[in-house]
Amino acid sequence: MLFQVNFKSGKPVYLQLVDQIQAAAASGALAPGEALPSIRPLAEELRVNRNTVAKAYTELESQGVIETLPGKGCFLKENHSPLRKEIRRKLLIEEIDQAIVKAHHLQVPGPEFLKLVEHRMEALEDKRRANEIEKEE
Amino acid sequence: MSTPTPVIQIENLAYAYGKAEAVHDLSFAVQPGRCYGLFGRNGAGKTTTMKCLLNLLRPQRGQARVFGLDPANEEVAVKRRLAYVPDQLAFYPWMSVRETLDYLASFRERWNKQTEAELLERFRLEPAKLTSSLSKGQRTQLALIAAICPETDMLVLDEPTSGLDPIVRREFIETVIGAYQEGNLGNRTILVSTHLIAEFEGLIDEFTIIDQGRNVMTLEADKARERFQKIRARFAGAAPEMELPGALRVRREGRELELVANGAGAALVERLKQHGPEELSTEALTLEEIFVAALKS
Repeated sequence: MLFQVNFKSGKPVYLQLVDQIQAAAASGALAPGEALPSIRPLAEELRVNRNTVAKAYTELESQGVIETLPGKGCFLKENHSPLRKEIRRKLLIEEIDQAIVKAHHLQVPGPEFLKLVEHRMEALEDKRRANEIEKEE
Repeated sequence: MSTPTPVIQIENLAYAYGKAEAVHDLSFAVQPGRCYGLFGRNGAGKTTTMKCLLNLLRPQRGQARVFGLDPANEEVAVKRRLAYVPDQLAFYPWMSVRETLDYLASFRERWNKQTEAELLERFRLEPAKLTSSLSKGQRTQLALIAAICPETDMLVLDEPTSGLDPIVRREFIETVIGAYQEGNLGNRTILVSTHLIAEFEGLIDEFTIIDQGRNVMTLEADKARERFQKIRARFAGAAPEMELPGALRVRREGRELELVANGAGAALVERLKQHGPEELSTEALTLEEIFVAALKS
Protein backbone atom coordinates (compact mmCIF):
# COMPACT_ATOMS: atom_id res chain seq x y z
CA MET A 1 0.00 0.00 0.00
CA LEU A 2 1.05 3.59 -0.55
CA PHE A 3 1.30 5.89 2.43
CA GLN A 4 0.94 9.65 2.60
CA VAL A 5 2.36 11.93 5.22
CA ASN A 6 0.92 15.38 5.64
CA PHE A 7 2.84 17.64 8.00
CA LYS A 8 0.10 20.26 7.81
CA SER A 9 -2.52 18.04 9.43
CA GLY A 10 -1.12 18.76 12.89
CA LYS A 11 -1.43 15.06 13.70
CA PRO A 12 1.76 13.30 14.84
CA VAL A 13 3.31 11.49 11.89
CA TYR A 14 3.29 8.08 13.56
CA LEU A 15 -0.46 8.42 14.21
CA GLN A 16 -1.03 9.25 10.55
CA LEU A 17 0.59 5.94 9.65
CA VAL A 18 -1.44 4.11 12.29
CA ASP A 19 -4.68 5.60 10.93
CA GLN A 20 -3.82 4.75 7.33
CA ILE A 21 -3.05 1.12 8.14
CA GLN A 22 -6.22 0.81 10.22
CA ALA A 23 -8.24 2.32 7.38
CA ALA A 24 -6.61 0.00 4.82
CA ALA A 25 -7.33 -2.98 7.04
CA ALA A 26 -10.96 -1.94 7.51
CA SER A 27 -11.58 -1.27 3.82
CA GLY A 28 -9.84 -4.42 2.63
CA ALA A 29 -7.07 -2.51 0.86
CA LEU A 30 -4.80 -4.53 3.11
CA ALA A 31 -5.75 -8.21 3.35
CA PRO A 32 -5.30 -10.36 6.47
CA GLY A 33 -1.88 -12.00 6.39
CA GLU A 34 -0.55 -9.42 3.94
CA ALA A 35 2.92 -8.03 4.64
CA LEU A 36 3.47 -4.41 5.57
CA PRO A 37 6.47 -2.62 4.09
CA SER A 38 9.54 -3.03 6.27
CA ILE A 39 10.67 -0.09 8.33
CA ARG A 40 13.78 0.98 6.43
CA PRO A 41 12.37 1.28 2.88
CA LEU A 42 9.16 2.90 4.14
CA ALA A 43 11.09 5.46 6.21
CA GLU A 44 13.37 6.21 3.26
CA GLU A 45 10.47 6.58 0.87
CA LEU A 46 8.50 8.90 3.14
CA ARG A 47 11.73 10.53 4.31
CA VAL A 48 10.69 10.24 7.93
CA ASN A 49 12.66 9.04 10.91
CA ARG A 50 12.80 5.27 11.26
CA ASN A 51 11.78 5.61 14.89
CA THR A 52 8.52 7.14 13.65
CA VAL A 53 7.67 4.08 11.54
CA ALA A 54 8.78 1.75 14.33
CA LYS A 55 6.53 3.63 16.77
CA ALA A 56 3.55 3.28 14.42
CA TYR A 57 4.11 -0.48 14.06
CA THR A 58 4.54 -0.91 17.83
CA GLU A 59 1.26 0.92 18.38
CA LEU A 60 -0.56 -1.26 15.81
CA GLU A 61 0.89 -4.37 17.36
CA SER A 62 -0.34 -3.41 20.82
CA GLN A 63 -3.79 -2.81 19.30
CA GLY A 64 -3.68 -6.30 17.83
CA VAL A 65 -3.95 -5.07 14.23
CA ILE A 66 -0.61 -6.38 13.06
CA GLU A 67 1.86 -8.99 14.24
CA THR A 68 5.62 -9.18 13.93
CA LEU A 69 7.13 -12.48 12.83
CA PRO A 70 10.78 -12.46 13.85
CA GLY A 71 13.04 -12.34 10.82
CA LYS A 72 10.09 -12.01 8.44
CA GLY A 73 8.56 -8.63 9.14
CA CYS A 74 5.15 -7.23 10.02
CA PHE A 75 1.87 -8.67 8.80
CA LEU A 76 -1.78 -7.78 9.09
CA LYS A 77 -3.30 -10.16 11.63
CA GLU A 78 -5.61 -12.87 10.30
CA ASN A 79 -8.36 -12.20 12.79
CA HIS A 80 -8.47 -8.50 13.40
CA SER A 81 -12.27 -8.50 12.93
CA PRO A 82 -13.28 -7.32 16.43
CA LEU A 83 -11.45 -4.09 15.69
CA ARG A 84 -12.78 -3.81 12.21
CA LYS A 85 -16.28 -2.61 12.99
CA GLU A 86 -14.95 -0.13 15.49
CA ILE A 87 -12.51 1.30 12.95
CA ARG A 88 -15.16 1.50 10.24
CA ARG A 89 -17.30 3.49 12.62
CA LYS A 90 -14.35 5.68 13.57
CA LEU A 91 -13.64 6.48 9.92
CA LEU A 92 -17.27 7.31 9.30
CA ILE A 93 -17.47 9.45 12.41
CA GLU A 94 -14.56 11.55 11.14
CA GLU A 95 -16.43 12.23 7.90
CA ILE A 96 -19.69 12.97 9.71
CA ASP A 97 -17.93 15.37 12.06
CA GLN A 98 -16.54 17.26 9.10
CA ALA A 99 -19.99 17.51 7.53
CA ILE A 100 -21.45 18.76 10.83
CA VAL A 101 -18.79 21.45 11.12
CA LYS A 102 -19.40 22.45 7.52
CA ALA A 103 -23.15 22.64 8.17
CA HIS A 104 -22.46 24.87 11.15
CA HIS A 105 -20.35 27.22 9.04
CA LEU A 106 -23.00 27.31 6.33
CA GLN A 107 -25.56 28.04 9.05
CA VAL A 108 -27.68 24.95 8.39
CA PRO A 109 -29.40 24.11 11.71
CA GLY A 110 -29.18 20.59 13.20
CA PRO A 111 -32.72 19.33 12.42
CA GLU A 112 -32.43 20.55 8.83
CA PHE A 113 -29.07 18.81 8.52
CA LEU A 114 -30.53 15.50 9.75
CA LYS A 115 -33.45 15.80 7.32
CA LEU A 116 -30.96 16.43 4.55
CA VAL A 117 -29.05 13.27 5.48
CA GLU A 118 -32.23 11.21 5.28
CA HIS A 119 -33.12 12.85 2.02
CA ARG A 120 -29.71 12.03 0.54
CA MET A 121 -29.92 8.42 1.70
CA GLU A 122 -33.26 8.08 -0.08
CA ALA A 123 -31.94 9.78 -3.19
CA LEU A 124 -28.92 7.46 -3.36
CA GLU A 125 -31.14 4.44 -2.71
CA ASP A 126 -33.43 5.50 -5.60
CA LYS A 127 -30.41 5.87 -7.84
CA ARG A 128 -29.16 2.41 -6.89
CA ARG A 129 -32.57 0.88 -7.66
CA ALA A 130 -32.74 2.67 -10.99
CA ASN A 131 -29.32 1.28 -11.89
CA GLU A 132 -30.42 -2.25 -11.02
CA ILE A 133 -33.55 -2.01 -13.13
CA GLU A 134 -31.50 -0.70 -16.01
CA LYS A 135 -29.14 -3.66 -15.69
CA GLU A 136 -32.04 -6.14 -15.66
CA GLU A 137 -33.49 -4.66 -18.82
CA MET B 1 14.48 4.06 35.66
CA SER B 2 17.12 6.76 35.62
CA THR B 3 17.22 9.16 32.70
CA PRO B 4 20.08 8.35 30.35
CA THR B 5 22.97 10.79 30.08
CA PRO B 6 22.22 13.24 27.27
CA VAL B 7 24.44 12.70 24.23
CA ILE B 8 24.86 16.45 24.04
CA GLN B 9 24.47 18.90 26.86
CA ILE B 10 25.11 22.56 26.30
CA GLU B 11 24.77 24.94 29.22
CA ASN B 12 25.02 28.72 29.04
CA LEU B 13 27.49 28.45 26.19
CA ALA B 14 29.10 31.67 24.98
CA TYR B 15 31.65 32.30 22.28
CA ALA B 16 32.81 35.52 20.64
CA TYR B 17 35.16 36.08 17.71
CA GLY B 18 36.92 39.17 19.01
CA LYS B 19 34.08 41.47 19.93
CA ALA B 20 31.53 39.78 17.71
CA GLU B 21 29.49 37.48 19.91
CA ALA B 22 28.47 34.39 17.92
CA VAL B 23 26.86 32.36 20.69
CA HIS B 24 25.30 33.93 23.74
CA ASP B 25 24.12 31.96 26.79
CA LEU B 26 22.91 29.00 24.75
CA SER B 27 21.52 25.89 26.43
CA PHE B 28 19.97 22.70 25.08
CA ALA B 29 20.28 18.92 25.48
CA VAL B 30 19.98 16.02 23.06
CA GLN B 31 18.83 12.60 24.30
CA PRO B 32 20.24 9.38 22.82
CA GLY B 33 18.57 8.08 19.67
CA ARG B 34 17.05 11.38 18.69
CA CYS B 35 17.38 13.27 15.46
CA TYR B 36 17.91 16.81 16.65
CA GLY B 37 17.71 19.89 14.46
CA LEU B 38 19.61 23.08 15.10
CA PHE B 39 17.82 25.67 13.01
CA GLY B 40 19.01 29.18 12.38
CA ARG B 41 19.68 31.72 9.67
CA ASN B 42 23.12 32.15 8.20
CA GLY B 43 25.37 33.47 10.95
CA ALA B 44 23.00 32.53 13.78
CA GLY B 45 25.74 30.62 15.62
CA LYS B 46 25.07 27.04 14.49
CA THR B 47 28.57 26.25 13.26
CA THR B 48 30.21 27.90 16.28
CA THR B 49 28.07 25.74 18.56
CA MET B 50 29.03 22.60 16.70
CA LYS B 51 32.70 23.53 16.78
CA CYS B 52 32.52 23.86 20.57
CA LEU B 53 31.15 20.30 20.72
CA LEU B 54 34.03 19.02 18.63
CA ASN B 55 36.77 20.92 20.47
CA LEU B 56 37.51 22.95 17.36
CA LEU B 57 36.71 25.96 19.53
CA ARG B 58 36.89 26.30 23.32
CA PRO B 59 33.79 27.73 24.99
CA GLN B 60 34.59 31.08 26.60
CA ARG B 61 31.77 30.70 29.09
CA GLY B 62 29.43 27.89 30.01
CA GLN B 63 30.09 24.32 28.97
CA ALA B 64 29.56 21.73 26.29
CA ARG B 65 29.41 18.03 27.14
CA VAL B 66 29.35 15.20 24.62
CA PHE B 67 28.50 11.69 25.89
CA GLY B 68 28.86 13.27 29.33
CA LEU B 69 32.50 14.14 28.61
CA ASP B 70 34.33 17.42 28.18
CA PRO B 71 35.48 17.48 24.55
CA ALA B 72 38.52 19.61 25.49
CA ASN B 73 39.85 17.14 28.06
CA GLU B 74 38.76 13.90 26.44
CA GLU B 75 38.89 14.72 22.79
CA VAL B 76 39.78 11.22 21.58
CA ALA B 77 37.11 9.51 23.70
CA VAL B 78 34.53 11.91 22.28
CA LYS B 79 35.66 11.83 18.66
CA ARG B 80 35.90 8.06 18.37
CA ARG B 81 32.17 7.93 19.04
CA LEU B 82 31.05 10.50 16.51
CA ALA B 83 31.33 11.35 12.85
CA TYR B 84 31.18 14.87 11.49
CA VAL B 85 30.28 16.25 8.09
CA PRO B 86 31.46 19.87 8.16
CA ASP B 87 29.98 22.65 6.06
CA GLN B 88 33.32 23.19 4.33
CA LEU B 89 34.58 19.90 2.96
CA ALA B 90 38.29 19.37 2.47
CA PHE B 91 39.92 16.30 0.92
CA TYR B 92 43.47 15.77 -0.22
CA PRO B 93 43.20 16.64 -3.91
CA TRP B 94 45.81 14.09 -5.00
CA MET B 95 43.91 11.18 -3.45
CA SER B 96 41.31 9.13 -5.27
CA VAL B 97 37.92 8.30 -3.77
CA ARG B 98 39.29 4.85 -2.85
CA GLU B 99 42.44 6.25 -1.25
CA THR B 100 40.46 8.87 0.65
CA LEU B 101 38.15 6.27 2.16
CA ASP B 102 41.07 3.97 3.07
CA TYR B 103 42.89 6.90 4.64
CA LEU B 104 39.87 7.96 6.70
CA ALA B 105 39.11 4.34 7.65
CA SER B 106 42.63 4.00 9.09
CA PHE B 107 41.64 6.39 11.91
CA ARG B 108 38.60 4.33 12.86
CA GLU B 109 38.13 1.25 15.01
CA ARG B 110 35.22 0.07 12.88
CA TRP B 111 34.53 0.47 9.19
CA ASN B 112 31.64 -1.27 7.51
CA LYS B 113 32.99 -2.34 4.12
CA GLN B 114 29.63 -3.61 2.95
CA THR B 115 27.92 -0.28 3.66
CA GLU B 116 30.79 1.46 1.89
CA ALA B 117 30.32 -0.67 -1.24
CA GLU B 118 26.53 -0.16 -1.18
CA LEU B 119 26.84 3.59 -0.87
CA LEU B 120 29.52 3.92 -3.57
CA GLU B 121 27.15 2.01 -5.83
CA ARG B 122 24.14 4.06 -4.81
CA PHE B 123 25.90 7.37 -5.44
CA ARG B 124 27.61 6.02 -8.59
CA LEU B 125 30.96 7.26 -7.27
CA GLU B 126 33.98 5.93 -9.16
CA PRO B 127 36.65 4.74 -6.70
CA ALA B 128 39.48 5.64 -9.07
CA LYS B 129 38.39 9.26 -9.49
CA LEU B 130 40.53 11.95 -7.86
CA THR B 131 38.76 13.99 -5.18
CA SER B 132 39.86 17.18 -6.98
CA SER B 133 37.68 16.25 -9.95
CA LEU B 134 34.51 15.57 -7.93
CA SER B 135 31.49 17.85 -8.14
CA LYS B 136 30.17 19.53 -5.00
CA GLY B 137 27.43 16.94 -4.73
CA GLN B 138 29.90 14.08 -5.08
CA ARG B 139 32.20 15.56 -2.45
CA THR B 140 29.27 15.70 -0.03
CA GLN B 141 28.40 12.11 -0.88
CA LEU B 142 31.99 11.04 -0.21
CA ALA B 143 31.95 12.85 3.14
CA LEU B 144 28.67 11.13 4.01
CA ILE B 145 30.07 7.67 3.20
CA ALA B 146 33.08 8.44 5.40
CA ALA B 147 30.74 9.52 8.20
CA ILE B 148 28.41 6.50 8.02
CA CYS B 149 30.89 3.61 7.62
CA PRO B 150 32.52 3.94 11.09
CA GLU B 151 29.05 3.29 12.63
CA THR B 152 29.50 5.80 15.41
CA ASP B 153 26.97 6.63 18.13
CA MET B 154 26.43 10.12 16.78
CA LEU B 155 26.38 11.81 13.42
CA VAL B 156 26.94 15.56 13.33
CA LEU B 157 25.88 17.28 10.11
CA ASP B 158 26.60 20.98 9.58
CA GLU B 159 24.51 22.46 6.77
CA PRO B 160 24.89 19.21 4.86
CA THR B 161 22.59 19.92 1.94
CA SER B 162 23.10 23.59 1.18
CA GLY B 163 24.27 24.20 -2.37
CA LEU B 164 23.25 20.74 -3.59
CA ASP B 165 20.73 19.97 -6.29
CA PRO B 166 17.35 18.52 -5.23
CA ILE B 167 18.11 14.95 -6.34
CA VAL B 168 21.37 14.82 -4.39
CA ARG B 169 19.63 16.36 -1.37
CA ARG B 170 16.94 13.69 -1.45
CA GLU B 171 19.48 10.90 -1.76
CA PHE B 172 21.48 12.40 1.08
CA ILE B 173 18.54 12.37 3.47
CA GLU B 174 17.40 8.91 2.41
CA THR B 175 20.91 7.65 3.08
CA VAL B 176 20.99 9.19 6.54
CA ILE B 177 17.64 7.58 7.32
CA GLY B 178 18.43 4.23 5.74
CA ALA B 179 22.10 3.55 6.18
CA TYR B 180 22.99 5.48 9.31
CA GLN B 181 20.17 4.28 11.54
CA GLU B 182 20.66 0.68 10.31
CA GLY B 183 21.24 -1.98 12.92
CA ASN B 184 21.13 0.07 16.05
CA LEU B 185 17.72 1.68 15.83
CA GLY B 186 16.98 3.96 18.74
CA ASN B 187 20.60 4.41 19.72
CA ARG B 188 22.06 6.45 16.93
CA THR B 189 21.83 10.15 17.53
CA ILE B 190 21.85 12.74 14.78
CA LEU B 191 22.55 16.44 15.23
CA VAL B 192 21.88 18.41 12.09
CA SER B 193 22.19 22.14 11.62
CA THR B 194 20.39 23.64 8.68
CA HIS B 195 18.42 26.52 7.34
CA LEU B 196 16.90 24.23 4.67
CA ILE B 197 14.35 22.91 7.10
CA ALA B 198 11.64 21.54 4.81
CA GLU B 199 13.66 18.60 3.59
CA PHE B 200 14.50 17.43 7.12
CA GLU B 201 10.91 17.85 8.31
CA GLY B 202 10.15 14.13 8.66
CA LEU B 203 13.49 13.25 10.17
CA ILE B 204 13.55 15.75 13.02
CA ASP B 205 12.26 14.60 16.43
CA GLU B 206 13.15 17.75 18.31
CA PHE B 207 14.75 21.05 17.46
CA THR B 208 16.18 24.29 18.76
CA ILE B 209 15.85 27.52 16.83
CA ILE B 210 18.75 29.87 17.45
CA ASP B 211 19.03 33.46 16.42
CA GLN B 212 21.93 35.79 17.08
CA GLY B 213 23.46 33.08 19.25
CA ARG B 214 20.42 32.79 21.52
CA ASN B 215 17.95 29.95 22.00
CA VAL B 216 14.64 31.22 20.62
CA MET B 217 12.71 28.00 21.05
CA THR B 218 13.19 24.30 21.82
CA LEU B 219 10.32 21.96 20.97
CA GLU B 220 9.49 18.45 19.84
CA ALA B 221 8.50 18.46 16.17
CA ASP B 222 5.08 16.84 16.68
CA LYS B 223 4.27 19.20 19.57
CA ALA B 224 5.38 22.19 17.50
CA ARG B 225 3.06 21.26 14.63
CA GLU B 226 0.24 20.85 17.15
CA ARG B 227 0.88 24.22 18.76
CA PHE B 228 1.44 26.39 15.72
CA GLN B 229 -1.66 26.72 13.59
CA LYS B 230 -2.76 28.77 10.66
CA ILE B 231 -6.42 29.72 10.98
CA ARG B 232 -8.41 31.01 8.04
CA ALA B 233 -11.87 32.54 8.28
CA ARG B 234 -14.17 34.03 5.64
CA PHE B 235 -17.12 36.17 6.60
CA ALA B 236 -20.31 37.20 4.79
CA GLY B 237 -19.35 40.85 5.07
CA ALA B 238 -16.05 42.59 5.69
CA ALA B 239 -13.89 40.74 8.20
CA PRO B 240 -14.79 42.14 11.64
CA GLU B 241 -12.32 44.26 13.57
CA MET B 242 -11.67 42.25 16.69
CA GLU B 243 -9.15 41.61 19.41
CA LEU B 244 -7.09 38.54 18.62
CA PRO B 245 -4.98 37.82 21.70
CA GLY B 246 -2.21 35.33 21.09
CA ALA B 247 -2.20 35.69 17.31
CA LEU B 248 1.35 35.99 16.02
CA ARG B 249 0.45 37.38 12.67
CA VAL B 250 -2.81 38.60 11.19
CA ARG B 251 -3.57 39.08 7.51
CA ARG B 252 -6.78 40.77 6.52
CA GLU B 253 -8.11 40.99 2.98
CA GLY B 254 -11.72 42.03 2.38
CA ARG B 255 -13.90 39.28 3.81
CA GLU B 256 -11.01 37.03 4.74
CA LEU B 257 -8.85 36.78 7.80
CA GLU B 258 -5.77 34.62 8.22
CA LEU B 259 -3.84 34.32 11.42
CA VAL B 260 -1.00 32.33 12.89
CA ALA B 261 -1.42 31.08 16.45
CA ASN B 262 1.09 29.68 18.89
CA GLY B 263 -0.79 27.48 21.36
CA ALA B 264 -3.80 29.79 21.49
CA GLY B 265 -5.45 28.20 18.43
CA ALA B 266 -8.55 26.78 20.12
CA ALA B 267 -9.37 30.05 21.92
CA LEU B 268 -8.89 32.04 18.71
CA VAL B 269 -11.15 29.68 16.76
CA GLU B 270 -13.86 30.16 19.42
CA ARG B 271 -13.47 33.91 19.18
CA LEU B 272 -13.80 33.84 15.40
CA LYS B 273 -16.87 31.59 15.63
CA GLN B 274 -18.69 34.25 17.66
CA HIS B 275 -18.66 36.40 14.53
CA GLY B 276 -20.34 33.66 12.47
CA PRO B 277 -17.84 32.99 9.69
CA GLU B 278 -18.99 31.34 6.48
CA GLU B 279 -15.83 29.27 6.35
CA LEU B 280 -13.37 28.43 9.06
CA SER B 281 -10.39 26.15 8.70
CA THR B 282 -7.16 25.41 10.51
CA GLU B 283 -3.95 23.72 9.47
CA ALA B 284 -0.65 23.02 11.16
CA LEU B 285 2.42 25.01 10.29
CA THR B 286 5.37 23.12 8.86
CA LEU B 287 8.67 23.36 10.74
CA GLU B 288 9.91 25.84 8.17
CA GLU B 289 6.84 28.05 8.67
CA ILE B 290 7.29 27.76 12.43
CA PHE B 291 10.90 28.85 12.01
CA VAL B 292 9.84 31.92 10.04
CA ALA B 293 7.04 32.74 12.51
CA ALA B 294 9.39 32.37 15.48
CA LEU B 295 11.97 34.73 14.02
CA LYS B 296 9.49 37.33 12.80
CA SER B 297 7.53 37.70 16.01
